[in-house]
Amino acid sequence: MLKVTSESLLWLMLALPFLGSLLSSILPARKRNTAGILAGVVMLLASVVAIGLYSSISEGSVVRSRIPWLPSLGLEIVLRLDGLSWLFAALVLVVGFLVVVYSRYYMSPEDPVPRFFAYLLAFAGSMVGLVLSGNLIQLVFFWELTSLFSFLLIGYWYHNERARSGARMALIVTATGGLCLLAGVMLLGKIAGSYDLDAVFLAADRIRQSELYLPALGLILIGAFTKSAQFPFHFWLPHAMAAPTPVSAYLHSATLVKAGIFLLIRFWPVLAGTEAWFATVTTVGLCTLILGAWVAIFQQDLKGLLAYSTISHLGLITLLLGLNSPLATVAAIFHTLNHATFKASLFMAVGIIDHETGTRDIRKLSGLARYMPITATLAVIAAGAMAGVPLLNGFLSKEMFLAEALDLHRESFAGRTLPFLATLALAFSVLYSVRFIHQSFFGPPPQDLPREPQEAPRWMRMPIEVLVVACLVVGMVPALTVAPLLGAAAYSVLGPNTPSYSLAIWHGFNAPLVLSLLALLLGALGYVLFGKRLNRQDGTPLVGVFKGRRAFETVLSLLIRGARRTMEFVGTRRLQPQLRVLVLAACFAGLLPFLRYGYQGGTKVGTPLDPAFALIWLVGGICAVAAAWTAKYHRFAALILMAGAGLVSCVSFVWLSSPDLALTQLLVETVTTLLLLLGLRWLPARSRDLWPGSRTPWRVRFRRGGDVTLALAAGSGIALLSYAIMTREMPNSISRYFVEHSYPDGGGRNVVNVILVDFRGFDTLGEMTVLAIVALTVFALLRRFRPAPESVRSPEQQRLQDASDDAREGRERGDTLADYLLVPRTIMEWLFPAIIVLAFYLLMRGHDLPGGGFAAGVTMSIALILQYLASGTRRVEDRLRVHPLRWMGSGLLLAVVTGLGAWWFDYPFLTSWFRYVDLPLLGEVPLATALLFDIGVFLLVIGAIALILVAIAHQSIRTTRRRPEPPLAVKSGEEEA
Amino acid sequence: MSAGWTDHLIVAPIVLPLAAAALTLFLDERQRRLKASVALLTVLALLFVSTLLLQGAASSGFAGEPATTAYHLGNWPAPFGIVLVIDWLSALMLVLTSGLGLTTLVYSLAYWDRAGPRFHTLFLLQLMGLNGAFLTGDLFNLFVFFEVLLAASYGLLLHGSGVQRVQAGLHYVSINVATSLLFLIGVALIYGVTGTLNMADLAIRIPAVAGSDLPLLQSGMAILGTAFLLKAGMWPLGLWLPRSYAAAAPPVAALFAILSKVGVYAVLRVYLLLGGEGGWAANFGDEWLLYGGMATIAFGTVGILASRTLMRVAGYSVIISSGTLLAAIGAGQGAVLGGVLFYLVSSTVGICAFYLLIELIERNEADAALKVEPVFEDEYTGSLETGEEDETGVVIPATLAILGGGFVFCVLVISGLPPLSGFVAKFAIIHGLLGLRSEIDWPVWALISLIILSGLATIIATTRAGIDLIWTPSEQPQPLHLAEAVPVGVLLAACLGLAIFAGPTMRYMERTGQSLGDRQGYVQKVLIEGPADKHARSR
Repeated sequence: MLKVTSESLLWLMLALPFLGSLLSSILPARKRNTAGILAGVVMLLASVVAIGLYSSISEGSVVRSRIPWLPSLGLEIVLRLDGLSWLFAALVLVVGFLVVVYSRYYMSPEDPVPRFFAYLLAFAGSMVGLVLSGNLIQLVFFWELTSLFSFLLIGYWYHNERARSGARMALIVTATGGLCLLAGVMLLGKIAGSYDLDAVFLAADRIRQSELYLPALGLILIGAFTKSAQFPFHFWLPHAMAAPTPVSAYLHSATLVKAGIFLLIRFWPVLAGTEAWFATVTTVGLCTLILGAWVAIFQQDLKGLLAYSTISHLGLITLLLGLNSPLATVAAIFHTLNHATFKASLFMAVGIIDHETGTRDIRKLSGLARYMPITATLAVIAAGAMAGVPLLNGFLSKEMFLAEALDLHRESFAGRTLPFLATLALAFSVLYSVRFIHQSFFGPPPQDLPREPQEAPRWMRMPIEVLVVACLVVGMVPALTVAPLLGAAAYSVLGPNTPSYSLAIWHGFNAPLVLSLLALLLGALGYVLFGKRLNRQDGTPLVGVFKGRRAFETVLSLLIRGARRTMEFVGTRRLQPQLRVLVLAACFAGLLPFLRYGYQGGTKVGTPLDPAFALIWLVGGICAVAAAWTAKYHRFAALILMAGAGLVSCVSFVWLSSPDLALTQLLVETVTTLLLLLGLRWLPARSRDLWPGSRTPWRVRFRRGGDVTLALAAGSGIALLSYAIMTREMPNSISRYFVEHSYPDGGGRNVVNVILVDFRGFDTLGEMTVLAIVALTVFALLRRFRPAPESVRSPEQQRLQDASDDAREGRERGDTLADYLLVPRTIMEWLFPAIIVLAFYLLMRGHDLPGGGFAAGVTMSIALILQYLASGTRRVEDRLRVHPLRWMGSGLLLAVVTGLGAWWFDYPFLTSWFRYVDLPLLGEVPLATALLFDIGVFLLVIGAIALILVAIAHQSIRTTRRRPEPPLAVKSGEEEA
Repeated sequence: MSAGWTDHLIVAPIVLPLAAAALTLFLDERQRRLKASVALLTVLALLFVSTLLLQGAASSGFAGEPATTAYHLGNWPAPFGIVLVIDWLSALMLVLTSGLGLTTLVYSLAYWDRAGPRFHTLFLLQLMGLNGAFLTGDLFNLFVFFEVLLAASYGLLLHGSGVQRVQAGLHYVSINVATSLLFLIGVALIYGVTGTLNMADLAIRIPAVAGSDLPLLQSGMAILGTAFLLKAGMWPLGLWLPRSYAAAAPPVAALFAILSKVGVYAVLRVYLLLGGEGGWAANFGDEWLLYGGMATIAFGTVGILASRTLMRVAGYSVIISSGTLLAAIGAGQGAVLGGVLFYLVSSTVGICAFYLLIELIERNEADAALKVEPVFEDEYTGSLETGEEDETGVVIPATLAILGGGFVFCVLVISGLPPLSGFVAKFAIIHGLLGLRSEIDWPVWALISLIILSGLATIIATTRAGIDLIWTPSEQPQPLHLAEAVPVGVLLAACLGLAIFAGPTMRYMERTGQSLGDRQGYVQKVLIEGPADKHARSR
């Protein structure tokens, strides 16, 4: 019964902050009190739940609750509460509650606090999720969420630049770490065979011996160090001070930065105990400890001082964890707790100072104790704890630290120097603590502060009071207060290896105490000697030249600049090189198998070459090459040459007895050439003079040479491929089936047509659609087409004709044009009905003889094009209403409906039906649904070509806007081409 | 309702948009609302049908029966006629397509469908082409549907006009027409060697190809592969992609998010089906996919860092996404396919939402490129410049908060950070890669590092742009329309849903992955259980 309750309580503890966040985020921006109360109640409730859960873990037992999430990949949501996670969860929630109370009074009434509380609650929830994680992936999941919400919190005042850049820096550094962590824990999971935390604990020995241990360790440590602001990743933390002070108080005391520490403690049983761990973690910890303390001394901003002191204390904890000693680990956990209490209260005290005086500059502050005695008292006690003054909690963990430092009996440099370095760092911490307190609260009354200082409101002080009481109580009667909590946490990490230790103020007059007193003395002495000088110091000696932020920005901008430079080499936006790459890749891909296996032609003997056919192909080849040659500057010539090449393929089809293909090819050639010719008129002129002195540079010649080679290679490649295919025995192909079944099952003797409208009618349906889309696209494009200025005016010939009309008596402008090519025009107009009949003929006979819907449709559209050519757009459209879109629509619909008709008889889409019937006059006629389908094709083809035609034709009758016809330049111009 | 009726449902994702598009051709530009309603109804129906199909495939599949169903068009027996095949993978792609289609269509109704003629027709045909490509079981028919979807994409890319768009559009057309030619050459070679086009039939015939024909067949497959990889955007073939997508109208670019996935789909389908187990085709393709994919991720990563605009950032995330997919397919064959497919869905949805959102964020600058001096009196300029009456009219307060929140969500999905689906997807891929062998060899190391680094680069690039655009104080942002905000919200909610229901989703994806390796089952359903001859009644 109890188990069930504690499991559900676990879920409640995790869900509460997120629910609160959701509620708060939908509150209106001005609902300051509601949001505050909501956040406070949520945090308080969650804290109560956490405290209530203590009994279930106090005996060293573990509460677990799991929900499958991605079971096949070993990813479950496991909430796992043991002594360690309880301690951290309680810390997060209780400090969270205090911070919420504090924020309510700290944040200005203009701030949209509901958003603030929403972020804060979500952040707290992520922290709780992180510490409760019983699955490695879930841990990373919440880890990244803390990065995300801390980003939003740090950037909360995003209107100022420091907040933006600080938030961004924090996000990038911690997210990088998070990604490394993900890779690291996945390696752990691979070694352990499971992502479950308990399974990983059981596999500890295997993990340490695995060859993947080092990469996993490295990646996880990067994750932890970036989060906990360890050297050399510490630089983001001071910039995160741009956040509102309550955020700093929360993030940098009990939560965000402690996540890294939590990770190190959590994985201590698995990863610690090796040389690699000792070397890395202690070195990084020691560097951070000393560097942070040293820099903190020279800060003039109170928050900056606390930020570096935080870095330094985190370094201390890391150092302890690196020592591979159980007792040091207990000390680390203890100091984590102590640091959270005193650092949170100090941040809040600084917040009060900032709030009440309007400045955090240590040099401007002085003698505040007389204005705010209570705050001053609280701050003094908290700072005392930070400095490690006896009777306060900081003292106890510091003693343990010193004892461990002395205990490191290693005949190594590190072992011998550690006690001295530790004492030195502690002396620094005494120095900056004293400086902080003395400078701000004592001395003469302050001058020219932005605001008249006064005591903070009672509820703003309350959180600090609670925390300071905790410092005192823990410091004085540790055994009665914190010992069991610490014991439970230590046991959950160390298990049966938990060392015996005693938390007492007095252990006798021993070496740690001597060092501790020495540090206090040195620190105080340091302040007496250098205190005034520190106020004049600008920047930190020795390490001040290393500007973390600048380095970070430099690295980023180098990265981006490098990326842009690289893009110039590996990417291009231009079409020609891209096409070159494509052809090259295709050639290479096609060639590769032949390099491996060798090229082999087929075994079939070729038919003897007919000289006439060879001649035709020679002409065709010349046309094709010449078309390519002239394409750039002589579009007209190129077009005609292309048509020549097309004709040669028509002839080839006829020669090789495929009349259907020949017919289709001929018609398509005709229409495309005509439409392209009509389009040429609107293209801008191309000038040849590209290079100064009309000398082509070598670079260009080289490139063109390369292109020619590539083109030759691709062309020969295709030729060789075709040769190999065509000289081979045909495989047992599906085409035989088509020939055999075309008449009995498809009802047509023209196999090509039966394939098109029946066997593979679905392909035809698709191709019809393509044609429709292309027509629509051309139409849409030309609707908004803006021709080059030089092509807007009417063609030269027309202008000459008009000019001559104007010049001569008795002629209206346009008369010559109207008479132009009268005879051919009349013939073309009269051809209209004849071509229509031809089209219908082709359509009807298509199923049995060459022809069909496509050919008929193209034929019909040629009739239409001829009308436009002969009579001009206006005249045709006066007499003939063309609705290309409706033709297209009807064609598509007819084809679809024909296909759907089969459903009625419970056959699949496009199943055909046919019967031969005797019709009067026409004789025996095949009556097939395929014909209906073909009529659909017919309609669509007419519509599509007509639409393109109309789109081009209408260019010439559009009236230009605000652009008067330029006067005719009477000079013998070049050919319009 | 007979059993036969549901069988015919397979063809609906193709025929329905086609018929609707044909109908819209009868409506002129003034009947925009009617056209919009037709399009909207069609896409809704498409979503419904594809969900039904997915459900059908999944329910029979999880029940232990084969999830594959073949539909023999024209009632011709299998290798001769064209078959449509619905199975795990195609059903999934259909749902994805129609989901994306619905959201982008709704989005475009707020503004963009008025930016040029015949938007709805082209849009519907685009969906038809996509659906056809996913459904077909015939190599040449695949080519036809590639043509349909490409032709429609030409039209859509040019939609809205403007100098930049036309330039990029013609560029896109050139590249893709050239590629279609390669596609055709590849198909012709394969047909020339095997004598068949049906994929199931090919799967049977290819292992039996004589040794002397092998280079020809491989050559055909490689040329075909080049065409697929260009569509997928593999470096160095995919250099065209960011520019083209950046020039497209936002809802179009958003829909295009799935276009590059068609290439990936084709690779998955064709190469897994046709490459025999441990056979030559498998070995032949794998390394190219792996190294090419890795080069693509690297290229995308560099590109995303070098990007100056969000549209480019999105374009390079398309590249990264393709590269990740290709490399993971190449590295792992069957083992990582579950993760690969999950990633495919997640990244497509995420990038789609991102494209839509970019437009909303950058709206103030977006209009400038479109304002072109009209040259002709009759030019269709109307609605774009004047912006008709407000139809949706509801202005959402706290625009900035919504944009900011949406942006953060998009970035999370694309870069693969928790709590959205991107994280699950990347985790699943890396998990699969790590589990491949007990020893991790260097290409796998490199691939995992690249996947992680590309995520990091995405974060760096997007935070810079996002902070500049969203957090930097500026004048009041333009109000949002519901029709614009809701689609983005729906897409992001889908990503959240994918993450929450990762278990069942991944189960589906894993089964899909397994089914792709199951050649026997596919061949059995497509080739053997079809109609024996034309006039046999279908079932």
